Formats: sequence, C-alpha cells, structure tokens
Amino acid sequence: MGSAGSYGVGTGNSGAYVTEISEPARFEEEIRSLIQARFDAPPVSGGSFTALLGLSANQAVGLLHEPGAGEISAPAASSSPTGLGHPLGCSPTFPSNAALAERAASFPVFAAADSPASSSDGGPSPPLKAEPPDPDSSPPLPVPFDKPRRPAKRKDCEKQKAKGPGKKIKTAEEQTEGDQLPYVHVRARRGQATDSHSLAERARREKINARMKLLQELVPGCSKITGTALVLDEIINHVQSLQRQVEFLSMRLAAVNPRIDFGGLDSFLMAERGPLAASNGRGEAALDPVSWSSDPAPGTGLRTDLRPSQQSSTAWVYPYALIDHGTSLFGYGAANSVPLNSNQSKTDL
Amino acid sequence: MQVTRAFKQAFLERMLLGFRATDVSSKSMSFQEKKSFIKLSADVAIAVARGSRKWTRGLIASVSKEQQKRLLPRVIPRKQYERLMKPCSSNSWKIPRSKKILRKSLRVSSTRRKKKLCAVEKRTRVLRRLVPGGESLSGFSLLDETLDYVLSLRAQVGLMQSLLMTCEASKRRAHELKCTSPETKASTVGNRGRCGGIP
Repeated sequence: MGSAGSYGVGTGNSGAYVTEISEPARFEEEIRSLIQARFDAPPVSGGSFTALLGLSANQAVGLLHEPGAGEISAPAASSSPTGLGHPLGCSPTFPSNAALAERAASFPVFAAADSPASSSDGGPSPPLKAEPPDPDSSPPLPVPFDKPRRPAKRKDCEKQKAKGPGKKIKTAEEQTEGDQLPYVHVRARRGQATDSHSLAERARREKINARMKLLQELVPGCSKITGTALVLDEIINHVQSLQRQVEFLSMRLAAVNPRIDFGGLDSFLMAERGPLAASNGRGEAALDPVSWSSDPAPGTGLRTDLRPSQQSSTAWVYPYALIDHGTSLFGYGAANSVPLNSNQSKTDL
Repeated sequence: MQVTRAFKQAFLERMLLGFRATDVSSKSMSFQEKKSFIKLSADVAIAVARGSRKWTRGLIASVSKEQQKRLLPRVIPRKQYERLMKPCSSNSWKIPRSKKILRKSLRVSSTRRKKKLCAVEKRTRVLRRLVPGGESLSGFSLLDETLDYVLSLRAQVGLMQSLLMTCEASKRRAHELKCTSPETKASTVGNRGRCGGIP
C-alpha cells in the first residue's frame, strides 16, 4: 500500500522529531524542524506531506470522541507520555486486523499504542493492545464447523468475496474495511434450529448487530442506549447534526474567504515541493499556535519566534498542521467555541 | 475505514482545488453562490478522497445531477470521475442474495418481528434518505455505509473547522500587523483604539 511506503519516511525521521506537545520549547523546535524537513525530505511516492508530522489517525479519531477534544494536553497526560505528543513523522502501525482497527479507532487510549515512536513506552502499549482484542474476539466465535453447514457459509462467503473486489476499488491510502471475514463460523446455540436457512439468517443478524455495535461506539452517547430504534434515532441525529455543521462551516468559509487568496496556495499544492519562493505573503501569515493547542505557553513562545521571520516563510506551515491537528483538536472540542467565533467573524466583516 | 493522514491530505487538496475551479475567491459572486460552491467542493472532495463506496457514488451522482455536469469535470480529475460514475459491478451480485435472504427471513420470523419492524423500519427509511445513495441499500449495507459516511463527515467537519480557524487567525494577524506599523509612527491612543476596533 502506498501508505506503508510513505510512513517509511516518517519512521526514518521519527527519531529526531519525537516531542511532547506539553513541552513548550520543544513544540517550537518541532515546528521549525517541520519547516526544514518539509523542504529537505526527498519526495515520496505518496506525496510530499508524508515526511511530516502527524498525529496518528487513530488518535485523531480517538480524540474526536473526547468531549473536550481541544485539550490536547489532557489526553497526552492521561495516555502514555510520548503517545500523543509526537506530531512528527512517526509511522502509525495500523493493526492488521481491520475489524480490530475499527474498534481501535474509538479507543482514545489505544491510539497511543499505535505509534512505534513510543518505544520508550513498551510497557503500557502491549497491555493497551491486549484490551481491544478481548472484546473483539467474541463476535467471530471460533467453532468446529459441520459439513452440512459449510455449503451455506461457503455460499455466503463466496458471494462476499466476489462482492469484495467490486465494492472496494481502493486507492492506495485506504485500509481494508472490517468485516469481510472468509468464514463466518457460527455455533448452533442450545435449543436453536440447525438447518442452513436459520443459520444463514443468524449469521446475517450477527453481522448486522456487529455493525450496530460499531456505530454505537462511534456515535457519542450511544453506548448506554439499548434497543435498535433508539440507537438508530441517535445515529440519525448525529448524521443530521454533522450535515448541518458542514453547511454552517461552508457559510462561514464563504464569509471569510474573500480575504484569503487561495490561488497562491493552489500553486503550492500543485508544485508539491513548493519552494519558499512561491510565496503568497498576503493573507497567509504564520499559523497561530494558540489555535492549535489549549496550552498558551507554546503558543506565545512560537509566535514571538516566528513573527520576526518572514511572513512568506511560514506561510506553508499550516496545511500540514491543518491535516495533523485539524480533526483531533476541532472535531468536537471546538463545537463549543463555534458560536464564539461566529461573533468574532461578524465583527471581522 | 481509517481516517488516515493521507486521506485528510487528499481531502484538503481536492477541496482547495475545487475552490480554485469554482473560483470562490472572486469578488463577483453572491454570498449564497459562494457558500454553495464551497459546500460542493467540500462534498466532492470528501467523496473523491474516500474512493469508491456506495455513498460516494450517490453523492457524486446527486451533485452532477444538480450541476448538470457543468463544473464537475473541472473539479474532479477525469479518471476518478469515470471510475466513480460507472455502475458498481457488485450490485448485480447483491440483488439475488438479498432476495434469498429476504425470503428466508420472511419465512422464519414474520410475525415475531412485526412490532420491531415498524419502529426500526421508520428510522431505517429516514436514514436511507440521509445517507447519499442509501435508497437502494439493504439493512447491513446501510449500516456499513452509514458508518463510513459518519467517519468521513467527521473528518470533513474537522478539517473545515481547522481551515476556518487558520483563515481567521491569519486574517487577524494580517490586520494586527497592518495596525502595528502605523502605531509605531503615530502613537496616538485614538489610532490604537481604531485598529483594535476593526480587527
């Protein structure tokens, strides 16, 4: 997969770049080294962003689950010390079991175990990794299969497999989706019919229940609810609120947009190795680190550092920071601050 | 599905390309138009970045229906557009299977499930309307697509929020810088107040 190749570069640099966000001084260094690394690193097949720092995606999704997701220092403190604080280049090793990976995405603590850069934390990570496999082992019940049941399952799995290639025309960066197990081994429970029809039926129901459980874990506040209808209610509400948020954000982007010249940024993206010469000094000043971290100390330190430098030299920092910090910090943590910002933007206009 | 960094990168790139293609930075557009183009760019970006799923096809299909293929060829590169728009080969497999299972489930559990079906069925119908391309999906696939769609929506919202924050922050910074230079020249309180009042 392309992602494997791209993460390789990250691993190569990870030694130099492992830092903790909770340390203000090192945050500056890291941003500076990010700028250097971005233009020193050789181009990788996956694209130029890959040499750079990034919270592992699991962490990002995991942090989304935390109500106060704006506080990156809090999860960093709770999880292993180097877990979340290594925005640079560590290659997150996604679990090969994709169903596990889906569950893993919802465990914020587990995210810390993903990073190989947390080598000093060999202790906490294996026990952390041990946790998710336990709940995950229950759905695929291991079983000695009977011959008469086999044809039914085979049919099912063959059709699934046939569906697989057609359904999953994956790009290089995508991971395999969870539930395409080659066999669904189902043991006939005591007192239940054992003919192939009801078994297939039960297998299908198990699949649906597994999906429902995943969705329950994904949608905040759903794990306590029992009953399909109520859970579906929550899911529907969640989807509707997300769609409304997209509309609202696009409206605000439209409001702020005229000030920012996106043309310059485009040329940067196209070039992919945009030297600093391709600068757009107008609207894209240095990223405000206070926005990224709730800890004011690194922010002020960074701002005083970057301000004297040329505006253009720091103009390209933010796309990477956007990607890396964006979903983690602003998934839901900023939901509360959105009304505040709307007031601000009104005064801006 | 995993929200990888490459995915976020692809989404951001496409969205910005879409902004450029639809030219949202121009002064000649109405606010509503700008907003709809930004939303369009964002949706198409998330769909293309995700690849080929049922909901992505549904999304792109609905967008192209709305736009009547005016803008899409510019916004999406031609290859991926073709790949996304071609009818999914797996559909033909799915339909016979679901018919068989429907027959089985009807035989086994018709009366027992009636009450449950009503409540769940209503909500399934609503969910089908929400998820793009969900009209033709059966129970399991609907949940699968919903899961995927929710993850992508979250990534979309997060990235758009961070983009917004950055734009606003940089705008504020630019204004501050503009304000500080006249300040050094004319250190009147009035001047400073004025700069502060108009961020």
